[in-house]
Amino acid sequence: MKQGALAWTLCAALIATPVAAQSGDPKADLAKLKPKDFPTQPIEFTVVYPAGGGMDVTARLLAKYVEKWSGDRVIVNNRTGGAGMVGHSYLATQAKPDGYTVGVLANLVWGDAMLRAQGRWSLSDLEPIGYLNSDALTWVGPTEGPYKGMSVKDIVQAAKDKPGTIRIATVPGSMWEYIVEQIEASSGAKFLRVPFQGGGAGITALVGGNVDVAQGFYSEFRGHLEAGKVAPLAVAAATRMDFLKDMPTFNETFGASEYLWQVIRFAIVPKGTPADRKAYLAAAIHAAMKDAELIAEYRKAGVYFDPKLTDSTRLADDLGAYAEAERQFYVKTGRLK
Amino acid sequence: MLERALNAFWILLGAAAAAYAWTLGIVGPSGPESGLFPLIASLIILSAGVVLLVRPPARLAAPEPLPAAALARIGGVVAGLAVMAIGMPYLGFAVAGAITMIILLRTVERTSWAGSIALAVISVAAVLWLFGHGLGMVLPRGPWGF
Amino acid sequence: MDALSGLLTGFAVILTVQNLYLCFLGSLIGTLVGVLPGVGPLAALALLLPVTFTMSPVGGMVMLASIFYGAMYGGSTTSVLLNIPGEAASVVTCIDGHQMARQGRAGAALGIAAIGSFIAGTLGVVVMTFFAPAIAAAAIRFGPPENFGLMVLGLVCTLFMISGSAVKGVLMVALGFLTAAVGIDVVNGRERFTFGSVDLSGGVELLAVVIGLFGVAEVLVNVETLTPSTLLAERITGLWPTLADWRASWRAMLRGSGLGFILGLVPGGGPVTASFMSYALEKRVSPHPERFGKGAIEGVAGPESANNAAVAGSLIPVLSLGIPSNPVTALLLGALIIHGIQPGPLFMTQRPDLFWGIVASMYVGNVFLLVLNLPLVGLWAQLLRIPYRVLFPIVLLLSVVGTYSANKNVFDLWVMLGFGVAGYGLRKLEYDLAPFVIAFVLAPLLEQSLRQSLVMSPDGAMILLQRPVTAFLLAASAVLVVLMFRKSKPGGGSK
Repeated sequence: MKQGALAWTLCAALIATPVAAQSGDPKADLAKLKPKDFPTQPIEFTVVYPAGGGMDVTARLLAKYVEKWSGDRVIVNNRTGGAGMVGHSYLATQAKPDGYTVGVLANLVWGDAMLRAQGRWSLSDLEPIGYLNSDALTWVGPTEGPYKGMSVKDIVQAAKDKPGTIRIATVPGSMWEYIVEQIEASSGAKFLRVPFQGGGAGITALVGGNVDVAQGFYSEFRGHLEAGKVAPLAVAAATRMDFLKDMPTFNETFGASEYLWQVIRFAIVPKGTPADRKAYLAAAIHAAMKDAELIAEYRKAGVYFDPKLTDSTRLADDLGAYAEAERQFYVKTGRLK
Repeated sequence: MLERALNAFWILLGAAAAAYAWTLGIVGPSGPESGLFPLIASLIILSAGVVLLVRPPARLAAPEPLPAAALARIGGVVAGLAVMAIGMPYLGFAVAGAITMIILLRTVERTSWAGSIALAVISVAAVLWLFGHGLGMVLPRGPWGF
Repeated sequence: MDALSGLLTGFAVILTVQNLYLCFLGSLIGTLVGVLPGVGPLAALALLLPVTFTMSPVGGMVMLASIFYGAMYGGSTTSVLLNIPGEAASVVTCIDGHQMARQGRAGAALGIAAIGSFIAGTLGVVVMTFFAPAIAAAAIRFGPPENFGLMVLGLVCTLFMISGSAVKGVLMVALGFLTAAVGIDVVNGRERFTFGSVDLSGGVELLAVVIGLFGVAEVLVNVETLTPSTLLAERITGLWPTLADWRASWRAMLRGSGLGFILGLVPGGGPVTASFMSYALEKRVSPHPERFGKGAIEGVAGPESANNAAVAGSLIPVLSLGIPSNPVTALLLGALIIHGIQPGPLFMTQRPDLFWGIVASMYVGNVFLLVLNLPLVGLWAQLLRIPYRVLFPIVLLLSVVGTYSANKNVFDLWVMLGFGVAGYGLRKLEYDLAPFVIAFVLAPLLEQSLRQSLVMSPDGAMILLQRPVTAFLLAASAVLVVLMFRKSKPGGGSK
């Protein structure tokens, strides 16, 4: 882990420099950082999930604004398979570190690196260059049926009184399952976990009356929420969400601090990318992220900007802190030695 | 002869897959586990292989051996596609594609060298233009930039 | 807003030069994408999505939607002419369509395919116009048990498609299940049959399998014997379907439309499943099923109608509820979000201009596509005049690009080659490949929905009988199986 820490610190230093050097006109500042002979061909933003999903939408919006500020051509490429594993492996081991490949990833890569990479690659093979946004996992409940109108505390209590009867949609092997585990462990409740391929499928099942609680992100259930088909229960974030002020957080409901599960989206380049190209890409992303229009578009999708990560001058370290917390969870629950 | 080999292959495949599926677990507390469906499928393959070996169905057409020339042509197509798969990551789509096209044109019906090269270059360029410019798809580039 | 006034609103929105042009452009691109082997609507939509950023939301969505159903028109072209499917939803069209081409009736096959697509597409939009909300409300109650019932029915239909040796057919189905198991088990997240390979952990790519089994294998079969230079061009007699063709096909078109529309609605369905099940249905209800595989026009009319109707069906959940039933509609959802539009149950009332604009554009788009495709039949027929020794390398090159476009992974090219060689060998040894493909497509969802159903049910397997729709589907499957055994005459097939 020491080598990894050194690498991450170096990255952080490299990112901090251009961010601090910007003064007036962003486009001009960005042009000053442009390395010679780069780019001569389109830059690829690699997304490891299928087109149309939340990650893909984030990447495409980012690409649009990076193009606007830098004038370079950006193409979004979906390298799908294995719930992200194929794309993550590609970025960590096969992608050429020449500045033409930028990975737009989520913190789900940490799980892949820690649990499934089996030594073939590690997080130090991916160098973060910009933070994008965060999306907190939310529980939603039905607006019809026996569980309608109940708060999250009531539902957990019901799951305790009648173990194995309340059906909750989960996605095996990821945070959807982990939070259910946590709640069951600390409250003694027992849910009936129905597996789905993604959060969206679970929300569909909820609306159709096939599960009782679903988990997902705001962009996935917003349409149903506005139509009165689902009711928000709680969010696994540190503070309440601006767009759903009446929805409590898990931590405040249960008086804990462990229910923090969100998707953190950030951009990386493969290790070994030349420093000047990396700095340029970081600056371009930074400029795009400061665009008021992009911020507005992201907000529409229900994401929030984690104050600990926005404008961070030590991005690698800050992300590393979150990664370490996740690693502790894996160790505590016996998934990692 | 080939048929019997294939039937033997089905038997081996079925057995091996069934053994592997067994290790995945068959039934668990919440219903079928990862191994159930593969186990059923591989047992079906195994039994079908046995049935075919013991009682082969009547063939609709009489089997004829392939002349060497035909095998060479088939080999040429396979080789061409293999070159594409091996070469594309290192040489890029354009060069690997051109080489593959030349192999395909030459081995199957002896198109002249000049014709093959010309056709290869034109078609690869056309495909690159159609997909690169038209649809915006990025095809792998070789070490020389295209 | 009731249907008719909504439709008027929609036409008012769509009948501008800009939007009409985009609809036409999408239809053209869709047709082209359908013709190219391997490149399907999903890849095309993903690639062209950024282009829509500069357009108005209506224009962008109209263009994307027309690419989607346009691809279902174009897919039959190479299926009929070259026995190579343009994409997975056109695989069954190869079976009888190409045989018709060999009999000199390529024009009739392509014509019926285009007309069937038009009828199905238009009927689908009409149903969508008047019944979308009601249908969507019913479709959303389709949970894992209902999906399972539908998949079982689909699997039973697969058995009808088996021609020749029954044992070999069942073996192919089982092999399809086994191949589909490669990858990550969705229900518990574990890897199966991946043997440590990262590429295999993503599963075997359907497109690579289809292009390999039907594209590469076809080329290998053809180069075995030095095929005469111009394959079929001399033998094209009429370019239009005859009255007899019409009489034979119109019922198949209607059946295909209905079946395809329903299958488009549910998550396990979509154009691919619709085309296979329509073929099986046609074979089952035909008084002369032995004609299938030898150029029966119903075998083209039914599936080609079904895959178009499935597009209309799959657009209902996404436009009425914001729920995708296949990867293409998931992408359309993403496109809506990027354009700043919130999909969901309120989409229809919040943005009637957009909802009805898209619906109206489908009427217009289907007309464009019919007008585009019918004259093109003659043009494509001329394609066959290119000597085969030049044609097949180009087709293979396009197949390589098409397969690569799915995941941008070179590993898929190896899968394509492997299945190509295997498909060639299996064809020589008289194995039927279509059952393998449909089993490969159905297996994941069948297994997943069964296991989900068992998990979510307090009574175990009884849930399958407690839910009325599921019970009905399973009963129908059982009935079909019994009928199948009774219908097979003694000595027919191999037992």
